[in-house]
Amino acid sequence: MSEALVTKLVEATHEVFETMVFQTLDQGEPLPDAQGAPKSNVVGTVGFAGSASGLVAFYSTLDAAKAITGAMLGMEPGEVNGEIPDAIGEITNMIAGSFRTKMATEGDAWAISVPTVTMGSDFYIKPFSNGRRILLPFRMNDNDVYVELILTKQR
Amino acid sequence: MRFLVVDDSSTMRRIVINTLNKLGQHECLEAGNGREGLEKLQQGPVDMIITDWNMPEMTGIEFIRAVRGMDGFASVPVLMVTTNAAKDDIVEALRAGVNNYVVKPFTPDTIKEKIDAVLTAK
Repeated sequence: MSEALVTKLVEATHEVFETMVFQTLDQGEPLPDAQGAPKSNVVGTVGFAGSASGLVAFYSTLDAAKAITGAMLGMEPGEVNGEIPDAIGEITNMIAGSFRTKMATEGDAWAISVPTVTMGSDFYIKPFSNGRRILLPFRMNDNDVYVELILTKQR
Repeated sequence: MRFLVVDDSSTMRRIVINTLNKLGQHECLEAGNGREGLEKLQQGPVDMIITDWNMPEMTGIEFIRAVRGMDGFASVPVLMVTTNAAKDDIVEALRAGVNNYVVKPFTPDTIKEKIDAVLTAK
C-alpha cells in the first residue's frame, strides 16, 4: 500500500478530530494486513470507487463513541444515547471525504458512498478476501479508536 | 430570517442550527435530503439555504439545480457544507448555483464567518 495513502488518511483523521471533536489523537504504529477487526461496539464504513476502490472504516468502543458524539453536539457523554449512529457515521464520512480530497491532489478521482454504521456487542466484520488492508490505531484520552483502509483496486 | 438546513446527518444539521442560534437566528427548517428540501420550500420562502452535497435520494447539487429553476428562488443565497473539496467539486457546485462553500471538517468560527459573509452579501 502506498505511503501517500496512509499519510493522507492519517492527516484526514487528525483534522476531523481536532476540528469537529476538539480532541488531539495520539497515533500508534500502523498495522498492515492486520488479521480480524479491533474490538469495538460501533463501526462506521464509507466505500469509495474510482481510480482506486475500497473502504474506509472507523472503529470505536461505546465509551469512545459517547465521548465523540458528546463533543460534537456539546453534550455530556452520559447524556448521549440515540445520537451515536448518526454522529459516528458523520465522523466516518468526514474522514473518508477529507481523505478523498487529499488524494485528488495526487491525481486520484473517487466517488464516495454515504456512511453505514453498525452497533452491537457481538458481531464480526469479515474483511474482503482480495483486499489489501492497513489498520491505523489512535488513542483519544483513555479510549482506543481505529481507522482502517481496505483497498480492492489501486491505481 | 428563515433558514433551510438540508443534510442527511442529523448531527450535522444540529451543529449548523446551533451555530445559527448563536448568531441570533432561530427560525430553521430541516430536511434530510434534496427531495425533502424541495418539499419544505413549497411551504414558503426562506432567506438562506445551507446544504450538504452527498445525500441519498437527491444530492445537494441536484437540489440546488432544482431550486434555481423554481419561481422565487433564483437568487436565494445558498451555502454548501461538504467534504467534497477537490477543485472540480467546487467548480461544479458554483456552476449549479452555490454562493459560498464550507469544507468539512470545519471550525465553529469558519462556518460562522461563511454564514455571515453570505448574509452580508444578501
